[in-house]
Amino acid sequence: MKINILLFGVLTEVTGETQLQVDAENIHDLNDLHTWLVKKHPGLQDKTFQYAVNQAISSAGHPLQAGDEVALLPPFSGG
Amino acid sequence: METKKKKHKVLLEGPVQPSFIADSIAKHSSKTDIGAHAIFLGQVRADAKEGKAVKAIEYSAYPEMAESILSEIREDLFSRYPITCMHIYHSVGTVKAGEISLFVFVSCKHRKESFDALRDIVELLKAKVPVWKKEIYEDESHVWV
Repeated sequence: MKINILLFGVLTEVTGETQLQVDAENIHDLNDLHTWLVKKHPGLQDKTFQYAVNQAISSAGHPLQAGDEVALLPPFSGG
Repeated sequence: METKKKKHKVLLEGPVQPSFIADSIAKHSSKTDIGAHAIFLGQVRADAKEGKAVKAIEYSAYPEMAESILSEIREDLFSRYPITCMHIYHSVGTVKAGEISLFVFVSCKHRKESFDALRDIVELLKAKVPVWKKEIYEDESHVWV
């Protein structure tokens, strides 16, 4: 089972991706996911963004499970 | 009141048309308990950066989260102000300089609460709603802002 990852704004350009998937087996929380993401896309390291898990803003230790939707949200600039 | 509960689709493809704004105003003529409409329109500015002018902004959003945050903002505002009705529309996709990308429309009995509520909505929206903009310049280069 997978965790679905969505990328937005400048992060789509940094990674060249709008969506990613990762096997949930080795990813237990947002810390694990962050480590995996930065390894896959080192350009993310210098970028400011926060995580949303299933559309709610979540902090580093937030647990993850298969089927979760995790979004990487750079600073908002609507309006 | 029914209007408070109604779910709106907030994100519109392309610019907000002036005729759409006019129609929205006209639709309120039957709601005669309203004494004050406050409207905020966000317009795309042709800022110049490094000698190049912005010709358009391309907006993108996390639509499901944007709609749910907007509905939380609506609930919050209705609980804090005596609002009769409230409408929020934000563009996604390309909006050219001079066109409207944000339309916030709040209606109350009296002007004071309509001004206060309007300012609150716009500030909350800017801070909390997952929308991003990419400035497109005359030479087709772009910058995420």
